[in-house]
Amino acid sequence: MSQADPRVDWEAIERSPEFQELITKRKHFVLPATVFFLAWYIGFILLAGYAPDFMSESVYQGLNVGYCLALTQFVMVFVLGVMYLRRADKVYDPLAETVVLRALSGRAEPPADDAGPEEVVR
Amino acid sequence: MTVIAATNVEALVIFAIVLSATLVITYWASKRMTGAEQFWAAGRSISGVQNGLAISGDYLSAASFLGIAGLIFIFGFDGFLYSVGFLVAFLTVMFLLAERMRNAGKYTIADVLAFRLRERPARTAAAMGTLTVAAFYLIAQMVGAGVLVQALVGIDFSLAVLITGVMMLCYVIFGGMLATTWVQIIKAVLLMTGILVMSIFVLERVGFNPIELFNRANANTTDASTFSLGPGTFLSSPIDTVSLGIALVLGTAGLPHILMRFFTVPDSKAARSSVVWAIFIIGGFYVLTTFVGFGARALLGEEGVAAAGTGGNLAAPNLAQFLGGGEGTFGGDLFLAVIAAVAFATILAVVAGLVLSASGAVAHDIWSNVIRKGSDSEHEEVLVARIAAASIGAIAIVIAIVGGEGLNVSFMVGLAFAVAASANFPALLLALTWRRFNTAGAVTGVLFGVVSSIVLVIISPKVWPGPDAEGGALSFYDLANPGIVSIPLGFIGCYLGTVLSKEHGNERQFAELHVRSETGLGAEKSGAEAEREPELVA
Repeated sequence: MSQADPRVDWEAIERSPEFQELITKRKHFVLPATVFFLAWYIGFILLAGYAPDFMSESVYQGLNVGYCLALTQFVMVFVLGVMYLRRADKVYDPLAETVVLRALSGRAEPPADDAGPEEVVR
Repeated sequence: MTVIAATNVEALVIFAIVLSATLVITYWASKRMTGAEQFWAAGRSISGVQNGLAISGDYLSAASFLGIAGLIFIFGFDGFLYSVGFLVAFLTVMFLLAERMRNAGKYTIADVLAFRLRERPARTAAAMGTLTVAAFYLIAQMVGAGVLVQALVGIDFSLAVLITGVMMLCYVIFGGMLATTWVQIIKAVLLMTGILVMSIFVLERVGFNPIELFNRANANTTDASTFSLGPGTFLSSPIDTVSLGIALVLGTAGLPHILMRFFTVPDSKAARSSVVWAIFIIGGFYVLTTFVGFGARALLGEEGVAAAGTGGNLAAPNLAQFLGGGEGTFGGDLFLAVIAAVAFATILAVVAGLVLSASGAVAHDIWSNVIRKGSDSEHEEVLVARIAAASIGAIAIVIAIVGGEGLNVSFMVGLAFAVAASANFPALLLALTWRRFNTAGAVTGVLFGVVSSIVLVIISPKVWPGPDAEGGALSFYDLANPGIVSIPLGFIGCYLGTVLSKEHGNERQFAELHVRSETGLGAEKSGAEAEREPELVA
């Protein structure tokens, strides 16, 4: 689709330090979080498949290891979801806004002494 | 404990109320129908909370409600494994796709591919992925609807499928995404209320002590029972369990009707908050399902298994009848009728979302952009969308009625998830993140994913040469769930297609897609915003 808007220098925006900072910061959370949740989930599935006796062991009466581990998956989803939401609101959105503002004002490459988005973040 | 086969009057009355409410919404939405953006994206006016509810309504099918409760009732823990996969999948959606889809797309997942790849082949491939998933999922839901409505209300299977199909088409054709969204929201509220009330009734019987519920469920078994509090009773092959688990957790991120919901919100912030709302609603729902499933085992016991039908699908309605006072009592019949209506609303909301996404693939992708190359008017696009929806709906109704109750619902849903995970997910993810990715890669990847999923399911032991035969078509391959093979094949297809073709991705277009998907710069505006703000870069 030739949606490319000729008036915007997308490559310059992509190279700009604030855009790089945005994607690096996002990656620093999303990548480890994705590896963690996939590992924790696949570990759970592997245990369910290959270690049914362990999963059936009782923790307290009818409550067994399997159900408890399943609940940890729920907790993991809730916690990671809220963590991402907070980081996105506090860190990524202000950075993205900076990128957009610079691009719209025609200053894809900011002056070096610019205060930068660090302050915005903290 | 048998659900009466004769017509259930209470159920009919409650069904009529639910259907009337949805038709009023459809009429209201049809008055607001202005064009393509309204038809497929509800004018991008849906808020984060509303979309979170609508995602839940779009996602939680009858398989999630009746199916999982039934599996837990009959097999115990293994039923819960599905819930965990269905929920964790939303982290994949949130971290990798939700905001990027909103920023980069317009109406369909093909928009994202076409953004940086050669339009016609990329769109055709993506539309094929969408239609394959939607077709299997839709037919499965329609058959499920027919079976359930027949059992719960006492009307004939074919008539039940027909009513479901006609209602679904009314919402989509006249009300588009706005009507579909509100049907999904109402359904989510009804479903959550229904399962919450049932759970409270169940827990009340065990002094609000869930552990006592497990104890009683475990005690209420016989030598013939397949029930166990531990895993391995339903999913007996470990490698198959892993394969299924992976397909569930990646497949959701390739379901076109779920991804399409992200185009209905005003911006990426609303897209991600809607995922978090959905996570809590869906997570809460699946925890409550275990109370209903284990509760059915604790209260109905082994005698209830025969009455619960294939896969235990009727366990939840039977439990409702029992909790309300039992068969023949007013309370029992009423509670049964309410849960039956909730199940019906559940199906309607899901099939409407599926038909809408399929109509987008046919009208927006194939007709408007591949055949007419964008030269058609918006009026024409919406007209074609309505015709496409009607045709897709009609085909699904006919296949469901002709195939009848003999069609294996769970295998078709499994197939839909496998195709979504193996074809749609790799192509989308790589289009958004891999600079080198090109058109040949997308087309090869989608083809590898679709073909390998379908072939592997056909030669799987459950299907070939028949459900009762021993072993599959190939002696060394006996997986019922193809994900563990077909998902890597989808990614390999994307990779090989890319590196083996001379075509180099358009750098500038990737830069644009990259910036746009990460920041929302240049993203489709919501109706209100577009009026307020001038075009990008004045």
